[in-house]
Amino acid sequence: MTVVAVDSVGAVRDSIREAASRGLGLRVVGRGTWLDAGRPVRAAGSLSTRELAGIVDYVPGDLTLTARAGTALGEIRAATAAHNQWLALDPLGRDDGSIGATVATASAGPLATHFGTPRDLVLGLEYVTGSGTIGRCGGRVVKNVAGFDLTRLLTGSWGTLGVITEVTLRLHARPEADQSVAVPITGDADDLTRIREALRRFPFTPYACEVLNAPLARASNAGSAPIALFRLGGNSEAVDAQRAALVEIGEPADIDGECWTALRAAEPADAFVFRLSRKPAEIGSVWTEAMSIAEACPGTLVHARPLRGVVRCVVPASAAAAEALRRIPASAPTARIGERLNPDLWRTSFPPAPREMDRRVKFAFDPDGVLNSGIFGELE
Amino acid sequence: MTVGTSIPTPTAGTTSAASASIDKSLADRLAAIVGDRRVLFRPSELLTYTSDALPSHHKRPALAVFPGTRDEAIAVVRELALGKVPFVPRGAGTGLSGGALADDVVLVGLNRLSRILAIDAENALAVVEPGVVNVALSRAVAAFGLHYAPDPSSQAACTIGGNVAENAGGPHCLKYGVTTNHIVALTVLLPSGEVVKFGTADGEHEGYDLVGAFVGSEGCFGIAIEITVRLSRNPEAVRTLLGDFTSLDAAARTVSAIVATGIIPAALEMIDQATIRAVEASIYAAGYPTDAAAALLIELDGANAGLERDVATVEALCKANGARTVRIARDEVERARLWQGRKKAFGAMGRVSSHLVVQDGVVPRTKLPEVLAEIHRIGQAHRVRVCNVFHAGDGNLHPNIPYDASDPDETARVHAAMREMMQACVKAGGTITGEHGVGLDKLPYMELIFSPDSLATMCTLREVFDPDRRANPGKVVPLHSCREWHMAPAARGAVHTP
Repeated sequence: MTVVAVDSVGAVRDSIREAASRGLGLRVVGRGTWLDAGRPVRAAGSLSTRELAGIVDYVPGDLTLTARAGTALGEIRAATAAHNQWLALDPLGRDDGSIGATVATASAGPLATHFGTPRDLVLGLEYVTGSGTIGRCGGRVVKNVAGFDLTRLLTGSWGTLGVITEVTLRLHARPEADQSVAVPITGDADDLTRIREALRRFPFTPYACEVLNAPLARASNAGSAPIALFRLGGNSEAVDAQRAALVEIGEPADIDGECWTALRAAEPADAFVFRLSRKPAEIGSVWTEAMSIAEACPGTLVHARPLRGVVRCVVPASAAAAEALRRIPASAPTARIGERLNPDLWRTSFPPAPREMDRRVKFAFDPDGVLNSGIFGELE
Repeated sequence: MTVGTSIPTPTAGTTSAASASIDKSLADRLAAIVGDRRVLFRPSELLTYTSDALPSHHKRPALAVFPGTRDEAIAVVRELALGKVPFVPRGAGTGLSGGALADDVVLVGLNRLSRILAIDAENALAVVEPGVVNVALSRAVAAFGLHYAPDPSSQAACTIGGNVAENAGGPHCLKYGVTTNHIVALTVLLPSGEVVKFGTADGEHEGYDLVGAFVGSEGCFGIAIEITVRLSRNPEAVRTLLGDFTSLDAAARTVSAIVATGIIPAALEMIDQATIRAVEASIYAAGYPTDAAAALLIELDGANAGLERDVATVEALCKANGARTVRIARDEVERARLWQGRKKAFGAMGRVSSHLVVQDGVVPRTKLPEVLAEIHRIGQAHRVRVCNVFHAGDGNLHPNIPYDASDPDETARVHAAMREMMQACVKAGGTITGEHGVGLDKLPYMELIFSPDSLATMCTLREVFDPDRRANPGKVVPLHSCREWHMAPAARGAVHTP
């Protein structure tokens, strides 16, 4: 399969138009660090934005930054750190992934507990639709209701409506104190319910709260037993009080902030990854479901984000694991969302379920089905 | 009931395709759905609906219909779809963009759909009908220690449905986000009469963010008939400060200095001298210093622990940037009084003149000092009086101009000044509306910030929801930007194989 790495928005448009005229599909790729997630894309070639990189505009006083799609997250981290600011977005994986792919997939990590997902952090976009139209939406200011909200529509649309070529982001100033704390737990479903209840009562929302099963705790250099990791931020007085409040959950101990980097990088390149979710109050049941999967698939890494009601499972890929996953029925009302799977599991056990309106939107933006067709389920 | 017999006969020159199909028989059919009293057609009855809270635009609906239940709303929209009749959804009519005005088409009032359908305190969610008044929802969930965060100044009257349509903001959106950050799921009545669901409160949802696309669509995508909102926990503690500055510039610099510390105030509002004097001369007098060039109303909230440290930091920053005094509200009474002056500023200005126009530009925060100076210059050049009262923390300016609309010369100068102010915001890298919406009022400015292709793509999205362009026609995107879709309508929606 040919990969074309374009270095201008005009070249993106030309590639799309050419593919459309020849009736071919394109797979849209960022820096290629996450590859294709095994998603079934019908494409004759790839269009990569990795050469369309670099920070275009950064005004620290405005806490906004504009970067081309292929810019690595690490470059944004370094540039903003120099001004004691950050993009509060830590998708699972490493910082060499691109901002374009992060936004296109609406990927978020532990910090979503406090700062939300890309949908809450993206202020504006430049894009090229499947019809080859170059446009902009949103802007470079933090508050904006001019025109229909294409920014939110394109964020998380997996490149199926348009190729994102430039992103404007909301940044945050770094807090005075940013402390990571680990609280040992037993790993029962009751723990999850208890933690969520405590978090609801606390007068603060931690920057992050992730509950790890033992294998993931090991992989994250956070001990060898189930553990709840907290990231606390604010002024030092506030953070001290937050740390003290955690006693209600267990015995808090300081832990190196590197645990978050380790947690994000823990999963093997070859793994089946998916998320289970329900209403947050039902986090205990979701955890139980994940634990039964972990039992059937040895070595499964599990982490829960109690305030968002989400549990993520990373299952080391093997024929046996694939077979086990195929046999586990979807248990409504739990939503199962695949991240990385093999084509067979996508089809049998985690089929994306696009709705009629999704199809109409896809057809309006990409009438020839050029962009990432099939990646989001059968929209055409 | 004599619906229809007295519907004015369209006169030559004003006849449109729309009004031609809005006749007695349509009124009768709508009355059969909602009851006779809920269909208005006499000019005197429709007077209330000829404007919203912005007095500079007037349009008269051909008729107004007020469904009282979800089923009635669906039946009304399906009836309109049968006759391909254009319509404009309307909430409480408190909008500030002329967005809910119906120009000789049908106005669908949603204010009677005012039931709170469910409160799930455990998951901090509520399900409401579109006509629920913003503040009524916060009151209903107060017993659970929760509130609905977006708080437009009109929150005592405006409806959640209107807030969704406009993606409404408010002072506390600096920390808590605007409407779109608080909407979890929607049941939408499309202009075709189809009922579709976007998003879910039951865990995560994959698929396009159609909730995000719908919020802020200004009635052009249909009617949200059921809205699931996320509720916010009431803060443990709140501190409200008033900084008193002798120059606008110093107040604007203080805003950037506060935000740079990483402290995110719940609200960070600026009130200039003209506004302070209008407020202090009114029944809403809040004790603002009338000789100040500008005041900053700053609210910090959250956990008790550490809050006083942040208050001290903000107080010190105000003083370091030239504040003469910083007053910290001692109790809830004083706090409410400080806020009343801000929230009722529009009302206070209403005393000054018969009419008031409000702008809603946004600029990058660091551009506030120069844009405020430019706005002052523009006001002087056009001999109009500008009162600034706005959400400084997110750079969302609200220059208000009190004037007398019966004076054509003054009116012309006001409009010229407004346009130049919008241009100044755009030139500074900003945008033309932060929370009021485009509606009719900002329509002429859309081309200042979006290319023809960008506007055409917005039309493409609109057509997904409303292929006939019957919902709130003529709003948000200038009509000439909507070039015909490159495929014949018959081919749209056809099964497509790549």
